[in-house]
Amino acid sequence: MAIRAIIALVLWEVVGRLGLVAGGALPAPSAIAIRFWADRGDYPMHVWATMQGAGIGFLIGNLVAVLAGVLFAVSPVAARLARGVNIAIFALPAIAIAPILTLMTTGMTPRVILAALGCYFVTMTATVTGITQTDARMRDVVRAYGGGRMASLRLVELRSAVPQILGALRIAAPAAVLGSILAEFGGGGRFGLGAYLIGSLGRADPARLWGIGLAATLLAGIGYAVFAVIAQRMTASTVAVTVAATPPAGEVDGPVWQRIALAAGSVLLPFALWWALIAASGAPAMIAKTPMALLDYLMLPNKAGERIWDALAQTLPITAVGIALGLGFAFALALGSVLRPGIVRAFMPVALVTQTMPLVALTPLLVLIFGRGPSVILWITVSVTFFPAFVTMAQGLQMVARSALDVPRAYGASAWTVLRLVSIPASAPYVFAALRLAVPRALLGVMTAEWLATGTGLGNLLNQSRGYLDYGMIWTVAVLSVLLSVFFYQVVVWIERRVLARLGMTTAA
Amino acid sequence: MTLSLDRRLFLGLAGAAALIPMRARAAAPFAFQASWINDAEFAGYFLAADNGYYAAEGLDLTYLSGGPDVIPESTLITGRADLTLTTPDTTIKAITEQGAPFKIIGAQYQKNPLGVVSLAKAPINEPKDLTGKTLAVPPVNVISVEAMLAANGIARGDVNIVPYAYDPTPLIRGEIDASVDFTTNVPYTIKLAGEEATSFLLYDHGYPVFNDTVVVTEDVLTSRRKELVSFLRASRKGWEENLVDPAKYPPTWADTWFAGTGREIDNEVFFNTAQKPLIEAEGGIFAMSEDAIAANIEALAKVGIAATRDHFDTTLLEEI
Repeated sequence: MAIRAIIALVLWEVVGRLGLVAGGALPAPSAIAIRFWADRGDYPMHVWATMQGAGIGFLIGNLVAVLAGVLFAVSPVAARLARGVNIAIFALPAIAIAPILTLMTTGMTPRVILAALGCYFVTMTATVTGITQTDARMRDVVRAYGGGRMASLRLVELRSAVPQILGALRIAAPAAVLGSILAEFGGGGRFGLGAYLIGSLGRADPARLWGIGLAATLLAGIGYAVFAVIAQRMTASTVAVTVAATPPAGEVDGPVWQRIALAAGSVLLPFALWWALIAASGAPAMIAKTPMALLDYLMLPNKAGERIWDALAQTLPITAVGIALGLGFAFALALGSVLRPGIVRAFMPVALVTQTMPLVALTPLLVLIFGRGPSVILWITVSVTFFPAFVTMAQGLQMVARSALDVPRAYGASAWTVLRLVSIPASAPYVFAALRLAVPRALLGVMTAEWLATGTGLGNLLNQSRGYLDYGMIWTVAVLSVLLSVFFYQVVVWIERRVLARLGMTTAA
Repeated sequence: MTLSLDRRLFLGLAGAAALIPMRARAAAPFAFQASWINDAEFAGYFLAADNGYYAAEGLDLTYLSGGPDVIPESTLITGRADLTLTTPDTTIKAITEQGAPFKIIGAQYQKNPLGVVSLAKAPINEPKDLTGKTLAVPPVNVISVEAMLAANGIARGDVNIVPYAYDPTPLIRGEIDASVDFTTNVPYTIKLAGEEATSFLLYDHGYPVFNDTVVVTEDVLTSRRKELVSFLRASRKGWEENLVDPAKYPPTWADTWFAGTGREIDNEVFFNTAQKPLIEAEGGIFAMSEDAIAANIEALAKVGIAATRDHFDTTLLEEI
């Protein structure tokens, strides 16, 4: 392991020294270190500002998430009603709402909100899973001694959910850092790694961009490591590092009218919340658009519709291609890892780094290497979808029952035949889980690349509308990208149900 | 003792209840939103703040830094700032198309520092040289560049315009032939990278508009007129003093205003020196002469922005 890392570093140094990648866009590690040392006075205040936004957001987001998780676990009706909100939060591309947050709120607030949103879903689902998977016999003990629902929750269920929640906090920590940095991009303010990065974009200094990117990664990685250690100390067990992509189902067995009312409520609730937040904020109508005001805006003869279609025509195809490439690559490598388990071990450190490296810090680095064409969008999309998909699928393939594998083996099947007959069909639930995970990430990746690098599509429309103070368009793009994300998520879920039902399988988390 | 405490409490409550009249007697809070990160572009305000010129005018200044992703006008609409610096095209577009209640009450840059920057070894010295070349332009400046091209009889299709993110790297590496950026700033960065830069201003080639126009909402213009004049007066004083010797003050702000920006002080001195002829005005700093306003209106009309004399209010400048 150590030797491999040293070889990689030496190779990187040589490549950097000779300026082999894109005319010196990939600086040597020594050059990055020298620049970092020269800039050492700048880092503490920026790191501190990012930590504050991420830290407060992490606390608030996870607190809300645990409370919501408990509520959803106890009340299927609440879970069903909140399903729309939960999917929207899971699917919303943070970059689309960052401009709105920075318009509507001030100071640290946008950072805190985006960081909290980044934490919410993963911790909420983990809490629900942890509580619902409590050993029924332990519940029975509480009940037998006359304990009610609350006593059972307090004495048994919350405790048994702790390993799950701690596992989620590990993933939430880097997500909070990413959220804070994303908000810094659009939020003004002098300090924060995002503010530093944006200020340094125009300095023609790749070594510094790498330094900031690596510092952000380190910050996120430390957050991950801290909770990994706490989890190990407290529970002496580890939970698999997968990212959940399913909101609590909240199956309600009631009369048809009740189920229809709940479904309608679930769709309407996000819009009601949107409305309520605007009313509560008291922001001027020119900036804060309610759903109705947005419809009015789209009716104006300002060619808004045309511009949106043009942007969608640029954004959607490349998102689809990016998802296909990222997932295809991940699937191939996951299959490869069944044949050669060493691949997973070799890839895990890389996976961890790219998963924790905040997307906004990664983008400028990829721009340095790949330029500003469509290829950079694909690279970014693949890099944000590939690793979570790979981790999900590789773990899925490892969970295939031994006995199922032994049958073809006993008949003398080759490794490939075993893969074809057993492993690939068995991995279907994990492919779908990976797809559900990939869709919102891909949209976030594409829009970030469009905003920062290529000047095309929805991302650019969002950025340009900010410059032109076209608030109607800012809201339209933000709402549209959330709706699109939710729509594609639901499409995947719909196909998944049908395919898995035919295969006689259940969905994977 | 109890009495004085109670009185203080009472005064505090009364002050909270009647916020504006109470504070007018003490220093009046005044929030200024800058249009970019802390660099020499705002040297005059830094100096005025450090030397207490705002305090002397009875203003308690809050300085809000900007950046590439801060839209200054938005902070006015949300009421976070009383006054900001903008580009006149976006401001007037917002007035005419969105009904935004803005007024331009002064102009920091008589001549817009935006220009076409290229490498001296492959120079682009005038608009005609752009034919067949690739030009990187920030998304919000595309209309200004189109106006400049039109004024010089160059077809839009003859120039390949790509988005620009204020990063000179592609220019230095030859991926693009020229970029549109502040000529007061980016040539220094290019020099650091070992190249010489050359540039011309859009201002001198068919697009004679201001930049960093001083903008307020109509509401603030009527309710805080006195404070606005005070701000302009203190700021003008700061700018005049700063421009006497552009090399003098930037080094003194290394650990205060410029802390954490990651920019060299030499860069700020270069910037401060280069911007001097673009800021100084016959009628005093921030002046907007009738000729200049007319030229702005005419140039903006060419890009389809219907500016009128109404959008500019020169009466505050007269009161300085």
